[in-house]
Amino acid sequence: MSTKSPSGLGKYQRLGVHAALIMLCLPFIMPLIWMVSTSLKAPSQIAMKSGESAVAFSAKNLLPNPVKWDNYPKALETVPFAVYLRNTLFLCFFSVIGAVISSAVVAYGFARIRFKGRDSLFYLMLATMCLPGAVTMIPAFALFRWLGWYGTFLPLIVPAFCGNAFYIFLLKQFFATIPEELSEAARIDGASEWRIFRQVMLPLAKPALATCALFQFLGTWNDFFGPLIYINDPTKYTLAYGLQQFLASHGTEWAKLMAGACIFTIPIIILFFFAQKTFIQGIATTGSKG
Amino acid sequence: METKSSPWKKIAAIIAAILLITGIALIFMLPAPQTRHYPKRIEVRFWHMWTGEWASVVDNIAQEYNRNQTKYEVVPLSVPSSAADTKFLLAVSGGNPPDLMAQWNPVIPSWADKKLLTPLDEMMTPAEWKEFQNTAYPVAKKIGIYKGKLYGVTTGTNVWALYYNPKHLREAGLDPNKFPKTLEELMKWGDKLNRYDKRGNLVRMGFLPGWLAEYAPIFDGGFYDFKSNKLTLNSPQNLRALTFLVDARKKIGYNNVVRFESGLLSSSNGSGDWPFIKDFYSIALDGQWRVEEIRKLAEDTKKNGGPWDFEYGTAPVPPPTGGKSAAGFADGNFLVIPRGAKQARGAWEFIKFWSGIEKPERAAKFYTWGGWMPINAKVANAPAYQKYVRENPQFKTFLDLMPSENLEPSPPVSYQIFLVDRIGRTDDFATRGSLTPEQALKTLEHDIAAEQARRKEYRYDVN
Amino acid sequence: MKKRSAKTIRNLTGYAFIAPWLIGFLVFTAGPFIASIFLSFTRYDIISTPVWVGAANYKELLTGDPIFWKSLLVTFKYAAVAIPSGIIAGVALALLLNMELKGISVYRTIFFIPSIVPVVATSVVFVWILNPNSGLVNSILLRFGIMGPNWLQDKNWALWSLIFMSLWGVGGSMIIYLAGLKDIPIQLYEAAMIDGANAWQRARHITIPMLTPIIFFNLVMGTIGAFGTFTQAFVMTQGGPEDSTMFYSLYLFNRAWRYLDMGYASAMAWILFVIIMIFTGIIMKSHRKWVHYGN
Repeated sequence: MSTKSPSGLGKYQRLGVHAALIMLCLPFIMPLIWMVSTSLKAPSQIAMKSGESAVAFSAKNLLPNPVKWDNYPKALETVPFAVYLRNTLFLCFFSVIGAVISSAVVAYGFARIRFKGRDSLFYLMLATMCLPGAVTMIPAFALFRWLGWYGTFLPLIVPAFCGNAFYIFLLKQFFATIPEELSEAARIDGASEWRIFRQVMLPLAKPALATCALFQFLGTWNDFFGPLIYINDPTKYTLAYGLQQFLASHGTEWAKLMAGACIFTIPIIILFFFAQKTFIQGIATTGSKG
Repeated sequence: METKSSPWKKIAAIIAAILLITGIALIFMLPAPQTRHYPKRIEVRFWHMWTGEWASVVDNIAQEYNRNQTKYEVVPLSVPSSAADTKFLLAVSGGNPPDLMAQWNPVIPSWADKKLLTPLDEMMTPAEWKEFQNTAYPVAKKIGIYKGKLYGVTTGTNVWALYYNPKHLREAGLDPNKFPKTLEELMKWGDKLNRYDKRGNLVRMGFLPGWLAEYAPIFDGGFYDFKSNKLTLNSPQNLRALTFLVDARKKIGYNNVVRFESGLLSSSNGSGDWPFIKDFYSIALDGQWRVEEIRKLAEDTKKNGGPWDFEYGTAPVPPPTGGKSAAGFADGNFLVIPRGAKQARGAWEFIKFWSGIEKPERAAKFYTWGGWMPINAKVANAPAYQKYVRENPQFKTFLDLMPSENLEPSPPVSYQIFLVDRIGRTDDFATRGSLTPEQALKTLEHDIAAEQARRKEYRYDVN
Repeated sequence: MKKRSAKTIRNLTGYAFIAPWLIGFLVFTAGPFIASIFLSFTRYDIISTPVWVGAANYKELLTGDPIFWKSLLVTFKYAAVAIPSGIIAGVALALLLNMELKGISVYRTIFFIPSIVPVVATSVVFVWILNPNSGLVNSILLRFGIMGPNWLQDKNWALWSLIFMSLWGVGGSMIIYLAGLKDIPIQLYEAAMIDGANAWQRARHITIPMLTPIIFFNLVMGTIGAFGTFTQAFVMTQGGPEDSTMFYSLYLFNRAWRYLDMGYASAMAWILFVIIMIFTGIIMKSHRKWVHYGN
């Protein structure tokens, strides 16, 4: 790592930035802290009387005492965790692959090839995002049923392979920032559009692709509604559905719910922690070396 | 900026990757869990909205049924409530409904009106139907019957009554054994029980009367006349009830009430505790399920070696002068059979089994598993149920309410949810002081009249 | 002649590239799209066959439904504040997190947490932060002698609370800006440093202009998202108190799935559609003026 970063900060300035960042972080990390702390509490502590004012979140109350580690095995026993995890990973894998590849291809078409009707089609694509799902759900459901896909994973996977308007737009914006000369040079060398896309554009768009993959993964991981609507077999549900099983209309067991939520969330946080390094490998790195 | 990774890092990464891949592979090699235990029987697909330990209770009832006969297998599926109605409606519109659904949202009139539900009285023998009409509690009939036909069988009615904290009462010099017999007296008790901090903020509410749909029947009002089948929105009784609720808040200050109640939100929404057991209320109106909740909490606390000295009593809401006793709001959990269900007969057999229309003595046990209110006196008087009441004496207050004619569920009109939302809005605007009770009820009347006019124009059913 | 065939090839290549989306659109989206236009002119309760009612739904919406107007106003207010503040916060955070600091990846992860944690946990914590008696915000205000409002339970503040909550989810757009920042060639900064530009000048003349394609993207998406805001209100306030958080999409959902008034809801959807398209169109038109592409 070079001593002189683009931000060019001195030692004390760095300390100041750290202090500011830590302060800023506090409200953002709060949900996680609360989740973890509640997941380790005994029910009696959660329902502890707190006397004069409604302090459910005081510092004293934040620390679990006694620490109940067995909330975790209990939570894992409540739902068929492994089965749900398998289904979730299965869905995540295909929808991420499908959405990222197809969106990248389509975005390249919109960004770099001047074909007839391009702008109107692009506008149409944006328009598809503007109609609330609440009203298109019935015809879409009827369609999937007519296709015989009701009760299978197909309605949740196949549409991903047709690209996602959000990612297409995002990738188009990224492709558009890449200098035209790069592809022009390849074109003069006789490369096909497909090769330019594969060998010139995709490597440069890695941070943007990683961003799309992350969003799609998160979306699928958290999607509770889609699987619930289209699937009727309890062994085909996902973790997001399993998490709902901890929520009860009366007398939710918060410790168990939050233990479930931690199991559900912490892998994603770790994944994000490592994945975000991919964002750093933009053209910036290639540039700094050149 | 590209740091050269050390060989150790690389090896660690490779090991981690291998472990991860093996782990995932193992998961994928797991056998699929079995959903059917009796694959040769006819499957009855049963959707319900319970989750967590409540879902286990439902599973147990289904298992009990499956053990009890040899023709059907009831296969329950928990569909969490935030998406349950949507899934159900899509499935029915797509021609693929479940055979049975357990619901608690007020949906019977609107779904029955759209021919979504199978009339259950048509599945009964005339003798059974007569028996049902004679024995079911009035409130079960009000919830389940729409235009003379039975669409839902209630396996658990929710009723509300007062919970009080005897310790607080004694501290304030009030005798818990001489609990108020009139609403006016209860309000005086409430005043004596309020506690403020040094800054003058309310820290403990003695008693704050709840919401309009509960108090309208208590004031001899209500939103529907079940005899003439007419809406009664802007009646003098309803106005009295709403004025009473508004005055109770005005006395403490609208803002103080909101501040106090929303101050509790984090606990009611967050750490799973009910403000009453955390000493924020001395007397609170709540549903019968709290009895079971407190019982479980006590059990749990003791199991973890904690002390448990929480004391509470229950009592019905005393009527105001000119009001009605054993009155109030009610809603319920009920079972419906969608139209087009392939195994309607099997579903119906299960309904009879669970609800106690058949063999109430056997069904009483199921009601105690969930701490549910019975459908008729036969279930209530069954030994299993009586044992439960003896063990939870506070429950008796609620059980005693069940035979009452004065419990009022939401009006059975085809636009019921719309109406329920508008009544809630009336309550909201009035009890926050934005509209006077008169204005609020007038707005309600006007809005519903407009909706009826629109429905007439669309040639929908107006009732 | 030759020129024309090159053009044809380019057209064909273009369509080949966008084919996945085009097929998906024709198969999965176009049908429901057209169906919902038709349904907006009918009374449709989801189950029975739709019955044609002409423009009755639109007439009722525009002339006889005060909650429709209220929900439109709420949504406009939300959009007007949440979109710009979201962009400013997102860019500022990304700039801050783009620094070369030890542990920066930990910070990045933390700011993204509210976007990952399940809604049950975030909403509970948020309700606590805004608790009028013991919440973080009001406790801090009290230090300065200010009695904070009732936030989520106050009709004048509930919408502001939700806007505040939307800033909490800024991590999502922060990631996109960060990816964009990493794409800015470092040579530009080096050249600027040789010219003696200070940090502010570099941000003003290099970073922000180079980020405009991403800002443009987030502006369009933010607009579409803001008009479709649903979940926060659905989970936290159900539209209350006194309809102060009755977002358009929430009211639309109620009409569609709770009151089974799908025709009416479809009409609402198309009115919303036109509104969003007008705004998006304006943004698209303006974009040549302020968005920088390539070099």
